[in-house]
Amino acid sequence: MNKKLTFEQATERLEAIVNEMENGKVTLDKSLELFEEGVSLVKQCNAMLDKAEQKVSMLVKTDDGYETTDFNGENNG
Amino acid sequence: MKSLQTPKPIFSVSEINEFIKLTLENSPTLSNVTVSGEISNFTNHKSGHLYFTLKDDGAIIKCVMFKSYASSLGFIPQSGMKVCAHGRISVFPRDGQYQFYINSMMPDGIGSLNVAYEMLKNKLDGMGLFDEDKKKPLPKIPMTIGIITSPTGAAIRDMINISKRRFPLAELILFPSLVQGEGAPSQLISGIKYFNENPVDVIIIGRGGGSIEDLWAFNDEQLAYAVFASKIPIVSAVGHETDFTICDYVADRRAPTPSAAAELVTPETDKLKQQYNNIITHLKSSLDFQIKNRREKICAFENSRQLSSPKNQLEDKRMLLIHLSELMQSKMKFICSQKETLFSSNASKLSALNPLNILSRGYGAVYDELGGVLTSVNAISENQTINVKLHDGDIKATVNSITRGKYE
Repeated sequence: MNKKLTFEQATERLEAIVNEMENGKVTLDKSLELFEEGVSLVKQCNAMLDKAEQKVSMLVKTDDGYETTDFNGENNG
Repeated sequence: MKSLQTPKPIFSVSEINEFIKLTLENSPTLSNVTVSGEISNFTNHKSGHLYFTLKDDGAIIKCVMFKSYASSLGFIPQSGMKVCAHGRISVFPRDGQYQFYINSMMPDGIGSLNVAYEMLKNKLDGMGLFDEDKKKPLPKIPMTIGIITSPTGAAIRDMINISKRRFPLAELILFPSLVQGEGAPSQLISGIKYFNENPVDVIIIGRGGGSIEDLWAFNDEQLAYAVFASKIPIVSAVGHETDFTICDYVADRRAPTPSAAAELVTPETDKLKQQYNNIITHLKSSLDFQIKNRREKICAFENSRQLSSPKNQLEDKRMLLIHLSELMQSKMKFICSQKETLFSSNASKLSALNPLNILSRGYGAVYDELGGVLTSVNAISENQTINVKLHDGDIKATVNSITRGKYE
């Protein structure tokens, strides 16, 4: 099974799985497979949510555009 | 009080009011004065003259603007509007009240801003910039959120705190911008352009609360066009709940405050997890349903198979056999009874033909001495011995005479 999905990809895939299983045209074997994949995706999503640390960056203007730098809002209060 | 004996003139009320009036009118300051204040108790008299008071925090002054001046006003004054009015102070002797006789008036500060705001709002509305069907939906799960605001206000801190609490998986990218003053609109516009060139899932543009002048950058016409043109959904969060800016109207969603904007764009992690659990439950029930469905099908198949099982086939054959044998038996009975009937009919026919039976009815059979049957008198001669057979015995007799042809 796909191990390194982004959260976005995981949720999109999850949605696709739900749709596929709902239309009811898949074989039982396939359904079982989808179900297993769905459970694993949910686990991955939950894990990502649990581990998430918010990244905040600020754009800084340079000669040729913008650069991102870490931003800590609390320092600027 | 009576120390001075110098006689003072005694004024009538009219005289003193007239005196005051002249005094005021002769004052170089009061005869040509500009006053700023807020209009209240505004009445547009049917005569065309305008009557109202100007006030500030501590005082009021009665004002009148005659029709001849009022008709050349460039705006419609109303209560609550701040204005700069020019005219003279004088007295209306009948009422003994001094008044401000205004001959020209301009919207002032917020007043003039309000006028400009209303005009721009109507214009953009007419152009369709506020149309509901042009509003883009917000993403369900934004992974990147572009924020255009000041890197120093409370607004950015509130937004970071809220999104950290609700959905820390989203990355916040701050495009620092002035949020008030002359340079603000162009920086805000640059922010929108930047996030359209370097796409994020959703943009929040805004600032914390402030005076109406502070928020004015968000009523910029060019900013309105930039917000409208953005391919990425924009949430506008300017000031407090009671502040409405042009930017709010054009944006895809208005949030009453920056904090509310952060709440609006981010899903809540706990709710998200709950949703995932629901999905699993849903998938599971869908799977169960499928399995149940399959099981029923198998059951139905099994039932249909039983009908054609060898055992059942044997039963069938046995039944057929029983049926056939019964059929056969009844056929046999029928045939037997038929034969019986035929036999008895033949037997009775046979008995009818039995010569002995004929003899019993009174006939006799005549034989010669050798046992041959005599059927004609011609075969018999007189005195010949014959035997006559009756049904119960034989007679030996001798022929006495013969009569021929008696019965022919």
